[in-house]
Amino acid sequence: MQPIVSLRHVTKRFGPTLAVDNVSIDIAPGRVHALMGENGAGKSTLMKILAGVHRPDEGEIRINGILVAFSNPRQALEAGVSTVFQELSLLPNLTIAENMFLAKEITGKFGLLNRAEMDRLTRDALAELGMTIDPGTLVSELTIAERQFVEIAHGIRADAQLFILDEPTAALNAADVEILNTQIKKLTGAGKAIIYISHRMDEIFRICDDVTVMKDGKHVATTSLSELSPEGLIALMVGRELSDLFPPRSGEFGAVRLACEGLELSPGSALIEFELRAGEILGLAGLEGQGQQEIARSFVGQHSSAAGRIVIGGQAFGLPLPRSGGVRLMQRLRIGFVPEDRKEEGLMLGMSIGENIGMSLHAAKPGYRLVSQLRQLVATTMQDLNVKAQSAAMPVGALSGGNQQKVLLGRYLAADMDILIIEEPTRGVDIGAKSEIYKILRQLANEGKALLVLSRETVELIGLCDRLLVVHDRKIVREIVGEEATEHAILDAALNT
Amino acid sequence: MARLGSRFLGRNSRQGNWWAPLILIVVTIALLIATTADFATPQNASNLLAQAMPLIIVAIGQMIVIVLAGMDLSVGSVMSLTTAILALDGAPMVLMPLVFVAAVVIGLINGVAIVKLNVHPIIATLSMQFIVLGIAQLLRPVAGGSVPDIVVTMVTGHVLGVPAPVLWAVVVIGVAWKILHGSRFGLHMFAIGGGVASGQTDAAHNFGLSEQRNIILAYVLSALFAAFAGIFVAGRIGSGDPGVGSQFALDSITAVAIGGTQLSGGVGGLHGTVLGAVLMALLANGMNLANLSAFLQGAIKGGILLIVVALQSRKKMGL
Repeated sequence: MQPIVSLRHVTKRFGPTLAVDNVSIDIAPGRVHALMGENGAGKSTLMKILAGVHRPDEGEIRINGILVAFSNPRQALEAGVSTVFQELSLLPNLTIAENMFLAKEITGKFGLLNRAEMDRLTRDALAELGMTIDPGTLVSELTIAERQFVEIAHGIRADAQLFILDEPTAALNAADVEILNTQIKKLTGAGKAIIYISHRMDEIFRICDDVTVMKDGKHVATTSLSELSPEGLIALMVGRELSDLFPPRSGEFGAVRLACEGLELSPGSALIEFELRAGEILGLAGLEGQGQQEIARSFVGQHSSAAGRIVIGGQAFGLPLPRSGGVRLMQRLRIGFVPEDRKEEGLMLGMSIGENIGMSLHAAKPGYRLVSQLRQLVATTMQDLNVKAQSAAMPVGALSGGNQQKVLLGRYLAADMDILIIEEPTRGVDIGAKSEIYKILRQLANEGKALLVLSRETVELIGLCDRLLVVHDRKIVREIVGEEATEHAILDAALNT
Repeated sequence: MARLGSRFLGRNSRQGNWWAPLILIVVTIALLIATTADFATPQNASNLLAQAMPLIIVAIGQMIVIVLAGMDLSVGSVMSLTTAILALDGAPMVLMPLVFVAAVVIGLINGVAIVKLNVHPIIATLSMQFIVLGIAQLLRPVAGGSVPDIVVTMVTGHVLGVPAPVLWAVVVIGVAWKILHGSRFGLHMFAIGGGVASGQTDAAHNFGLSEQRNIILAYVLSALFAAFAGIFVAGRIGSGDPGVGSQFALDSITAVAIGGTQLSGGVGGLHGTVLGAVLMALLANGMNLANLSAFLQGAIKGGILLIVVALQSRKKMGL
């Protein structure tokens, strides 16, 4: 049986990182093909290549045996690849019918739009999915589930051969999931192929026929799911080497610095409770987007949780914290928050290293007053962190990712915070700088500070943390001591819940 | 109709909040009929339309670029240049095409500067406003000359007893309606603007639309509408005047904004823009009839703009 899509030696680099490394896969018609892998394994990048969002650096893509190269997603759709991404690509200010026919409108006399015909065809396509919604409805008025179905209808109308569904059930309720499953069966029955990305183990085994596992951008295995058990699948996904990047743990903890009590991330979600001690590095692990970030951001007023309170040094604060006062309130309590996106949320790229490091000290002053005599402190901080730069006057934007991250950490080091909440401590940082940052974090813990860390890289959390909380679906599903943690155990806790 | 009804009930709309100027127009007309004897005469109605037409026309072009999250400050100068060209010595058959050729060139330069040279729309068209004004003043340093008779007849004559401005209003609004709300270009314009406004800057590209070509085309259309408005003004004043367009750049933006079009792009409608322009003409007319000072008139115009735009809840605007 000729595959609908075959990828050969596809490679994609982003700067120095190899996101997809020499991957070859065949997708057979009439089957649902699961794509599995840990966070950052390269699944999304590979799918974006297939969908025409990215262009591969090397390798070739064939659809029904014909070599293709897409310069935009529209071309991919015309060649028969329809994609439903998590971040949806419909235009909110157009109607369903307009989105469906955008760039391929049906026109009548004088090239004017034939809206009646487009509405009719859209209504038919939606009806095939069991939807009775008016095609003249603006997309901004649809729910996420409805938007996903509109995208699928889009693919059906374009007569796509391959449908890529990227975590389609993440935003769906049980009834919608059933409708989606029925649709998937209908599509495969008509000889279409489906690539299905999901982190829900039961779903994978219920819906999918084949599975491809990726790890670190590489292809690990492609096999039929009937030959595989859930444990076997997890075993394929894990197994990265724990290198000697990580400094040894001290194992000595002091008093409780921060206690999280009865935290409810959204109304009705499970209660989250934990304590963070001086000298401890606590990690929030789990699959991407399961609530780790919401937990961390609840503590600085950047996420409106439904209920709960945090106790810091005997003082209790009810959650949610006011968004306006959160970060500064925490700063007064000597809690530093290092956000994930250092370029957008953390650093002022156009300002100097010195100004970026001094920022939180300035912020601690009342009114518009600034701290004077910063020079010595900045110099010491830069030296402690081994920031490689000609002078403290250099703009942060000119530094490498690793040095930028050190400057960001340096801001809280200079302010001598007791508690640090750190998102993605080594995002976009090369391996040498990673090792340095791990040493810095461990050193801070050894000095008696308490650190709460979250990261997409499970290996990083295992190597760095004293204790791990596995978060899944907005609750803590398992607690694992750092020394005993394995990727397998974490994935097992996250997937089999 | 059901769809229109749901808009009033506060659902999202791509047309923006066009009923606010409509209500204000009704209220203003009612007030003027009640207080001013001269208002409800056919003569005044005809005058009013003739006064409103240039602004309606130029505002339609302005709206096209604003829906694409741009702005065109050069339209006033294009109008001035148009009157200056029409007042040159020459046959109407030469001058009329020249007006439109000039507009196309100006629009092309605006568009190319914005999409190819990455100049911000305000700066690009502000520069063009100075350049075009300078050329207009070179051609005709002070108001004077006379435009061909045919231009005057086109604007002030009657066809089968119907005043020309009424016919032009029907034609211009009809054509603009088809361009904006009935053509592929119009839909692509909203798509690109909506992508910009909702932060999905790749959206248009993902659908295979050419963002650059559409934006350039929008500035060419804006300049063409401005040239047409200039012809209308030239027909009314009968001569060339380099200062005649000076108010129109900001007035057209005001009319567009009052009509519910969002300056962030992607939301707006022709009906709103026409209503906005009519409201402004109506206010000017009414305040003149009421003998209000010109200074006070400006202040009232500004106040209405601020209040009407503040009433527009951006969350409800289809984005």
